[in-house]
Amino acid sequence: MKNVINILNEIKDRGLIKDYALGGAIAALRWVEPFFTRDLDVFIILSDKEEKGLIVLTPVYEYLRNKGYDKWIGQWLVIEGIPVEFIPAEGLSREALENAAEVEYEGAVTRVMKPEYLIALFLKASRQKDKIKVQMLLEQARVDIAALKDILNRYGLTERFKPFEKNE
Amino acid sequence: MKRMNEKEIKILTRDNRVITLKELFQGKQEARKDLAGLSFEQKIKMLVDLQRLACSWGGRKDILIWRI
Repeated sequence: MKNVINILNEIKDRGLIKDYALGGAIAALRWVEPFFTRDLDVFIILSDKEEKGLIVLTPVYEYLRNKGYDKWIGQWLVIEGIPVEFIPAEGLSREALENAAEVEYEGAVTRVMKPEYLIALFLKASRQKDKIKVQMLLEQARVDIAALKDILNRYGLTERFKPFEKNE
Repeated sequence: MKRMNEKEIKILTRDNRVITLKELFQGKQEARKDLAGLSFEQKIKMLVDLQRLACSWGGRKDILIWRI
């Protein structure tokens, strides 16, 4: 895991991406009890040089391939033994990335999406497994409810949160 | 037979302590919060244990056990 974080920081330092943050289940796991998951979602903002309207991940994959990371399992690229998916951050996920928390892992510094944004993103996806994570975050993480409601309001997700409000 | 609620059902537990079913569930909830407070490193180690378990015990051969 530390090696993956180092690789992600390297990609950023080399300017292949502007920024990144861990999202999805692993980000949630930072804030709640351990649970099973199989992959690592990495949300990225590409370099400013990229043309608008076209998301080009090729330079990132090329760079990683040249470093020997060329094994794919479905949509996941295996980096240092961990299946990783790069997801371009737009709208809500971009704001979540920009507001991510700095977290240390065995001395390597990475950025992890905060609970309020994760709840919003999970509500947006709204699969059963996402709803379970919303519940876990509300029960176990420190959630700024005012900030959460502001995010939900701005991204039209307030209705989806209503079934969870009794658990605040 | 009268159906009992969580407050009425009592359990004799270790050290001859009697707790209600509701208290048992509250204790579980507290334990989950304690786990939530573990370090990121500890949680990732536990995740890998879960992946191993899913692979060996659960027969999920499609799961890649993370190298950490």
